[in-house]
Amino acid sequence: MRDAIGDRELIVLDRLGVRLQGTYHHPADRPSGEPAEPTNLDRIGVLFVNSLSMPRAASGDSAVRWAESIARQGYPAFRIDLPGLGDSEGDSSTDLLDIVNAGGFASVAADAANQLVERFGLSGVVFFGHCAGAVSALYAGAASSDCRGLILLEPYFHVARAERPRVRRRLSDWARSSRMGRLASNLYDRIRNFSSALRGSALPANANAQLLARWKQVASTGLPILLLKAPGIKAQGAKPRLGEFDYIDHVVKLAGRKESIAVEFVESADHSFANREGREAVEQHIAGWLAANFPLTDFEFGTERIAHLGDGENQGHSGKSQEAPADRFCALEGR
Amino acid sequence: MENHLPEGRSQQHAGYFPVTGAHLYTVLHEVRDPVARVLLVGPFASERHNAYLPWVRWARYLAAENIEVLRYDYRGIGESTGAFEQMTFADWSQDVRLLYAWLADRAPHVPLLLHGVGVGAILAGRAFDEGLGDGLLLWSPPANANQALRATLMRWVGLEQIFKFGRDQKSASDYIRELEQGSSLEVDGYSWSAGLWRDSMRFTLPAALASEESAALAYKRPVRIVKLTSDAAPLAKGGRVGFDDLKDFSWLFAPNRDWIVAVTSQSSRGIAYA
Repeated sequence: MRDAIGDRELIVLDRLGVRLQGTYHHPADRPSGEPAEPTNLDRIGVLFVNSLSMPRAASGDSAVRWAESIARQGYPAFRIDLPGLGDSEGDSSTDLLDIVNAGGFASVAADAANQLVERFGLSGVVFFGHCAGAVSALYAGAASSDCRGLILLEPYFHVARAERPRVRRRLSDWARSSRMGRLASNLYDRIRNFSSALRGSALPANANAQLLARWKQVASTGLPILLLKAPGIKAQGAKPRLGEFDYIDHVVKLAGRKESIAVEFVESADHSFANREGREAVEQHIAGWLAANFPLTDFEFGTERIAHLGDGENQGHSGKSQEAPADRFCALEGR
Repeated sequence: MENHLPEGRSQQHAGYFPVTGAHLYTVLHEVRDPVARVLLVGPFASERHNAYLPWVRWARYLAAENIEVLRYDYRGIGESTGAFEQMTFADWSQDVRLLYAWLADRAPHVPLLLHGVGVGAILAGRAFDEGLGDGLLLWSPPANANQALRATLMRWVGLEQIFKFGRDQKSASDYIRELEQGSSLEVDGYSWSAGLWRDSMRFTLPAALASEESAALAYKRPVRIVKLTSDAAPLAKGGRVGFDDLKDFSWLFAPNRDWIVAVTSQSSRGIAYA
């Protein structure tokens, strides 16, 4: 068994109370195929954190592909399993979503980032998270002095609940599958919209005030943030479903004048971004955003690293997807 | 940084195992003086992600009982390399044989069992049918791989329909028709080729593994077949994926551990292990 192959290396982070398993994707211009010695990369690294209980490869192994893509551009990428998740030590908890909502992983993720900075001589870390992972990434960014940016895919700013009442789930099924149901659903949306208009810009009762405070803390400093959105249920393009609070609009305003937030809507994606079109769109947005915010002056793309990989060893998919699948892991299903 | 995690009496080692054109991500739960070894052949494709936490906990549970465990990701899935859509059931069968050989080579020699779930149960069962393994534990083995793929497809379609209304909704049979007509289909981020779909129908559980009784007659080696109910979700279909994987599985683990311990102690008495 080997610890390193091609552009990948298995790493363990310790000194965190628990030991975390992770995968390091070497930047394209650095020797690979062997475990990296302590080094001074002097560039930004991208650190992926788990989305809810997903292992570090993420849905459809999309995190593997994004990390590979980021490494090809010259940025080291790290995917770690947080405590109790994936292959890392620690007990997993049945109230995982509550822990995420309250920023329970912030400290350990920030400490992990610090270890990576020291070990690889990084100039800082960009936290990357999807859905519940985006919430953890945002909390970690606020807790970490090494944070230089955030990549947030489908973040949410309300207190997500693990379970929806059975009646509500059945109503949703009915609304999707029958003409009467659709009419009722549209009427419900209009009533919510009216109610929302009466409320004005006030936050919904289930807004995550603690998370919004962290957002304001980091975004108002001008920290570069890339925020990627996928089409939601009955959403109108980038805008939320009729009657739903527009959190994205709210948080951009909340960031103030110094904000450096790029909001991108990926129409071809599903919530997980694991479908081919969604995955590739994310790659492109990240490539442009990293180059714009963290340009590499000492990076020249070479082919040396590619030679270490066997034929067909990359995880790139071929063939076009037929449809964008829904993400089964989402804490926000039917929000 | 050493790439291992201590876990009580055992150590967890992650590593890459070379196979043709790819590397398999493996995790060895190493114990000092094991009473037995088990090769875990896990959930397939997107089912891997659903069931990852209970699968890891099962491996650790066994390791804590002095049973050394090797688990891995299939070629082209998870942390393993390779392009999923280029893989075949023959490739995944080869993975089992290669890892079995590696595990069988470890000292000291002790009984070595195969354990599979879902598609992994077919892979483990076929390897056992070829003569590998001192015992076999199957959780919810489908009669063929197509049954497992259909179950995954049904769940995916159900979730996909959450985002679709009315005529935009496609049924499972619409997608199956497309696969049968030669189109590929991306399910949970994995591109299922028409060839994979076709081959899955021919990739069957050996007939003798239809029941424990027929297996006992055919193999003269211990076989346990467990049909998991929805209580075992996400290791079985049903339940609330993404949340059920965090619950307590000791009710499932304990009797299966007991069976492994019992058959390996019998094997150790009946077989001369060097």
